[in-house]
Amino acid sequence: MQQDNGIWVGTADLTREESFVRNAAQEFSLENIDQTDGNWQTNRRDFLKMLGFGLGAATVAASCEIPMRRAVPYVTAPDAIVPGVANYYASTFINGGDVCPILVKTREGRPIKIEGNALSSLTKGGTSARAQALVLSLYDTKRVKNPARVSDEELSDLSWADLDKEVKAALSKGGVRILMHTSASPSARAALAELTSKYPDTRVVVYDPVSYSGLLDANEAAFGLRAVPSYRFDLAEVIVSFGADFLGTWINPVEHAAAYAEHRRMRKAAKGKMSRHYQVESHMSLTGSNADNRILVKPSEQGAAICALYNEVAALTGGSGIGGPKLNDKAATAMKKVARDLAAAKGRSLVVSSSNNREEQLIVNKINDMLGNLNTTVDFSRSSTNYQGSEKDVLRMVDDMNNGAVNTVILWNNANPLYDLPFAEKFAEAFRKVGVRIACASVPDETVLQCTHVAPVHHNLESWGDAQVREGELSLVQPTIAPLFNTRQAEHSFLEWTDSPNLDRNDPQPYYLYLRRQWLSTAKPNQNKFSGDDAFWEMSLHDGVLSWTPSARTVSISGAVALNASAVSQPSASEIEISFYETVHIGAGQYAHNPWLQEMPDPLLRTVWGNYLSVPVEWDGVNNINGWRDLNDGDIVEVEIEGRKARCTVVRTYGQMLGTVAIALGQGRTAGGCGEGHGVNVNPWLPVQNGIIQYHASNVQVSKKVDAEKLVACVQYHHTMGVRAEGVEEGKVINADEKSLGWKGFQGSLTDRSIIFHANQSEIKTLQADMEKFHDHAAHLNEQTLYPDRSDWYKNGPKWGMHIDLNACIGCGACQVACVSENNVPVVGKNEVARHHEMTWLRIDRYFYGDLENPRVVYQPMMCQHCDNAPCENVCPVNATNHSNEGLNQMAYNRCIGTRYCANNCPYKVRRFNWLDYTTADTWPGNEERVFHVDDKPFYADNLVRMVLNPDVTVRSRGVIEKCSLCVQRIQEGKLVAKRESRPIEDSDVRTACQTACPTGAITFGNVNNPDSAVSKAINADKALNYKVLEEINVRPIVDYTAKIRNSNETLFS
Amino acid sequence: MTLRRLCSILFIAFLFLQGVYAAPTVEEGKTLFMANCASCHNKNMKDKLTGPALAGTEERWASYPREDLYKWIRNSQALIATGHPRAVALWNEWKPTLMNNFTNLTDEQIESMLLYINDAAAPKAVADGAQAGAAGAGTSGKSNSNTWLFGALALMLAFLAAALMYIVNNLDNINRMREGLAPRERTLAQMLTSKSAIALLVFAATMILGYKTIDNASRLGRSQDYEPDQPIAFSHKIHAGVNKIDCQYCHDSARRSKHSSIPGANTCMNCHSAIKIGTQSGTAEITKIFASIGYDPITGAYLEDYEQWDESKIEALYKKWIGQEYMSAKSLTSMDDAGRITVQNQWDGIVKALKNDSNGKIQGPIEWVRIHNLADHAYFNHAQHVAVGQIECQKCHGPVEEMDVVYQHSTLGMGWCINCHRETEVKFASNDYYKQYEQYHTELKSGTRSKVTVEDIGGLECQKCHY
Repeated sequence: MQQDNGIWVGTADLTREESFVRNAAQEFSLENIDQTDGNWQTNRRDFLKMLGFGLGAATVAASCEIPMRRAVPYVTAPDAIVPGVANYYASTFINGGDVCPILVKTREGRPIKIEGNALSSLTKGGTSARAQALVLSLYDTKRVKNPARVSDEELSDLSWADLDKEVKAALSKGGVRILMHTSASPSARAALAELTSKYPDTRVVVYDPVSYSGLLDANEAAFGLRAVPSYRFDLAEVIVSFGADFLGTWINPVEHAAAYAEHRRMRKAAKGKMSRHYQVESHMSLTGSNADNRILVKPSEQGAAICALYNEVAALTGGSGIGGPKLNDKAATAMKKVARDLAAAKGRSLVVSSSNNREEQLIVNKINDMLGNLNTTVDFSRSSTNYQGSEKDVLRMVDDMNNGAVNTVILWNNANPLYDLPFAEKFAEAFRKVGVRIACASVPDETVLQCTHVAPVHHNLESWGDAQVREGELSLVQPTIAPLFNTRQAEHSFLEWTDSPNLDRNDPQPYYLYLRRQWLSTAKPNQNKFSGDDAFWEMSLHDGVLSWTPSARTVSISGAVALNASAVSQPSASEIEISFYETVHIGAGQYAHNPWLQEMPDPLLRTVWGNYLSVPVEWDGVNNINGWRDLNDGDIVEVEIEGRKARCTVVRTYGQMLGTVAIALGQGRTAGGCGEGHGVNVNPWLPVQNGIIQYHASNVQVSKKVDAEKLVACVQYHHTMGVRAEGVEEGKVINADEKSLGWKGFQGSLTDRSIIFHANQSEIKTLQADMEKFHDHAAHLNEQTLYPDRSDWYKNGPKWGMHIDLNACIGCGACQVACVSENNVPVVGKNEVARHHEMTWLRIDRYFYGDLENPRVVYQPMMCQHCDNAPCENVCPVNATNHSNEGLNQMAYNRCIGTRYCANNCPYKVRRFNWLDYTTADTWPGNEERVFHVDDKPFYADNLVRMVLNPDVTVRSRGVIEKCSLCVQRIQEGKLVAKRESRPIEDSDVRTACQTACPTGAITFGNVNNPDSAVSKAINADKALNYKVLEEINVRPIVDYTAKIRNSNETLFS
Repeated sequence: MTLRRLCSILFIAFLFLQGVYAAPTVEEGKTLFMANCASCHNKNMKDKLTGPALAGTEERWASYPREDLYKWIRNSQALIATGHPRAVALWNEWKPTLMNNFTNLTDEQIESMLLYINDAAAPKAVADGAQAGAAGAGTSGKSNSNTWLFGALALMLAFLAAALMYIVNNLDNINRMREGLAPRERTLAQMLTSKSAIALLVFAATMILGYKTIDNASRLGRSQDYEPDQPIAFSHKIHAGVNKIDCQYCHDSARRSKHSSIPGANTCMNCHSAIKIGTQSGTAEITKIFASIGYDPITGAYLEDYEQWDESKIEALYKKWIGQEYMSAKSLTSMDDAGRITVQNQWDGIVKALKNDSNGKIQGPIEWVRIHNLADHAYFNHAQHVAVGQIECQKCHGPVEEMDVVYQHSTLGMGWCINCHRETEVKFASNDYYKQYEQYHTELKSGTRSKVTVEDIGGLECQKCHY
């Protein structure tokens, strides 16, 4: 059996490019290794100078007195805070419609980590990468620190009293527009209502970062509800998604992921009870990469595809077709099969679409209706109003501004119309005609700089508030730190400007009282557990969420709705089409100024710090795999749409349909923070049809390569474990070594080694048999060791182990950001990533397999495997890395002298070296100066940013190796809790950061010496289908993975 | 040749002697006493605490079998129940105070503790003499007794070496004479400037300097005996020693957090709202607490809006209080010059202690000088040691209850930590967490293992303290 199972990482891997093989053989890239700055040549004189300085400095340091340190206690110690013990407060992550109930971990009153709130009935304790990164934006150095007047893009401080006076004077003239992203907060909506009712001609204009207008308009027409229903992925056995990235970005991905994974995890797959998921799209989205089958259609064909499915379903359920535009033949064939699967699962299936087109969404509604999915998997009793945007309203506002009907504009809730609207230029022109422009914002972004006033708002973690996650679940926002700057909540400002009688101005926290009253009057009647006001409020604040079963609401499609197949998007004859998409980490730009998210690789493209033009990969059917038009990763091309040109960096993308390209939203920022200057702003390219933004365009010109980027920040080929190489003599793929490759310096590779196992559900028995054989073979190999077996050593006390269900893993990256947050992993910047210097302890490897032009994807979270027979430990000359009797591969930073032998010897390539002083932990500040290319300070150099560091984890300095510790600080803490309570350790005592962050529960961690622990059970259930990566090389890792099982329809295209 | 051989002999002799005279039982007794007894029995052995003074225990029990004393220590109530006359007498004197049971102590361990009790109870001067005398017998080994021994041995060996050299030299000369060569006569100066003598000197100098360099280098950044002045002359001797306030009354987070935390001023006020005059310092020090938190000692009430008070207002209040107390202490009806100076001095003291450098305010926290500074890359958790390990605070912090000014008692070096982890027994029987160490439990039961130390459960591993 070939153990590499036909997986590949990218073209270089597939074609076995020599440079790739050479690089993969090294732990660290040798590219640009000498480019830290221009003058790093050391000669004898420099050496002597440094030697002399070193000796002198050591002498001086030795004779210095130790600096006096203060120990400052509280004056009146608060009851709740014990210094050194973390407090957790329930709160909510909100950014527009992105809502996730969370717990905020604080240490000595300082938020340092986000966890999911397991009491939420919807997210069930899951989080997203965006929610995890919330805590970093609190300590953003770019935040506006005082209320200010703005002129010529300069901020000059004002007092709140002066600002209020000026604003009230402006408001009293009437003609007020409040432009904002949809607010999920009922109390904020109430505050806004007070403002709008007080001043004449005052209106709220709402839009969303990525528009859902088509869906909302359709639901309004069909059901009379401008709302998003609850899509019950937990009940759906057949799922069809037309471009909707419901696991990554669409509506509420955390909730969807938790529900979706219930039908996907190994215990379902092993029993043959997986759901089946079809994705119809052109660019591979996160959701598409998880689908069982992907059906490729051009962006302009989406309407045709929806009509085709409608016609097929209608034919099977006894309805009549509606015609529609012509779909490509392959997809049309597939639609027949899809319809058959859907019809077989009536009431247990679900069709969703990302179309921003009212007609297409109406047809999708009708398909769900024909399949009996309305009121079962499409549930309006738990609908959400967190997306309410309407671009038509914004366009109307532009007209109003041009006509002089608007005197004052208030911007709120991250609305950044000068960046995030396709018609930003048109908007800006009209905007400047408005006399008073007030931004309730937190960073000086593109729009804020064009306003006249800034009323800086609290950060999410400094605010009071609430959010309606859905009907039936409310979630509270409570502050976890006193405001860092002279800011004020926008809601408070609105009430202040209204002179509201409901605002207790003399109270130190007026909006708290307002919120409390709101909850007592509106939220409290939803429960009957508590009758007393105080008891109810305390309970709500403690739990963070209030869940109840909303009264059932059954809907049916209004008879007035007529389906119109001619109004759907029409297939274009254009040679190239482009689609624009929101990414998991940056969104549509709301998160562009968060360095953790910028440095999180795109799950599929594996790129960081910017947006890249995805071009398809062409295969001639025999040997050659080429980037479309011979474009290679890092080439720069000129893209022109409707006369607008921009230069984009190309990345070859598997699964990108031929004849289409794609690029992400959210980059190309020009103001507001660290996202500035990365990638291109694609918003001006978005077409607006009938007042609705479209996320694809057809008349695109892409030039040939015009330039090439020097440093390509794509981690796809970094830390590659499996390398195929073609032997010089044999002429076939072999276990590559120096001799067979014919060039010196190759240190042996891992060709044909077990990294991924995969199979279709129908072949699970064969896979099981194969894997049993594999396990036996590996065990046989591993027995051929000269060394004594020391596994007895671990029998006493706890032994830690991890299990990762690759079927539940959707590759969303929440774990990766959680790990960065928990373990003080430095941010290194784009140039450093390009030089293979990214520091993430946990990476999510993405492998392809199957059809070259439409491959399947497996995500594999890869971190230190804590091998019981660890190769890294044997080669450390100073014993800085060694093993604990609890099975942890320990890393002692202060012992490490930076030989990097361990990293070179690690088969999993999970060890990271601090090439530079990324965290300014160095004792000698002078070392920092020449570190970063530009005159930038290292990211963690600022004391404000350093507040995010976890005080229980050492901040590593330059020149040492670091890697995953399995959150040893949490292990030690959990053990201590158990010891103090004099009881055996339980699963709940120790949960790693990646485990708690995961929205699907793919990661299990615990004591494998306890047969009743969750991790033991996971490892022992379906034992043959679990494996260890590189099981046969006798390093004995303690992380178990499951084989990837898909429930593909294998006859889809035949 | 001879020289090299001599050196190795010397070296081996040193190693051997160290091996023989290691592990004195008094040391073990001290460890056990500190871990088990010191919370109730006074460490000076002469004064009563919760339990009786232990000096002379052996004499008092001399008329009974030794086993009775063992039984008493292991389970006193059981012995009382049997009607043992000494036990009953003690119970009548001390009831209702119960002595804890120590069923896990072995006979040898109890003997060690008794040895320590005698040792500690013996008057200081006599103890030194006794140690010097006992050194040869090797029963009670303190480090200075070993020094004597080593000194004597070194002298003996040096003499031996000189004698051997003399013999070798003579033999060599005899050989030379047989071969018809003139015997080699060397003066002392020649001998001292010979290659081997210089080599020996250089070797010795390198060893000594090397040792000293490493020894001193390892002390860099450590601050044993650091005894800084504090903003308030707070005396642990008065609080913990004389008044016997439990350490954890003030340092209350030691049992539940990694930090032992310096108490907030509100904790001080629990007592000092009543005790407004100090026994040693009068109003000079306690008034600082009032000025920090905003308490009016004259009316006995906390001050409203104290945060907003300006300095002159604060000054007026506390000067009035200090003056008033001065006069009443001296039974004066009006202020005298000495009093005015006292008031001014005490107020200056308050300003010096409390005035914050950054905001210039008197109000706010008392900024103590931190004494125990562990390196940043070392993780230490008080709760683990205090609550789980049940280690006495004094074990690391020294006799704090005897300190007027606190100093750093231990080195806080890694070797010091490691040593303790090697020696300290885990509370294995009493904590259910350790149930999972089944192998050790079996071994303990079968007697193949006498104890489980912190080292045995991984207490020496890097990532127990460095992560």
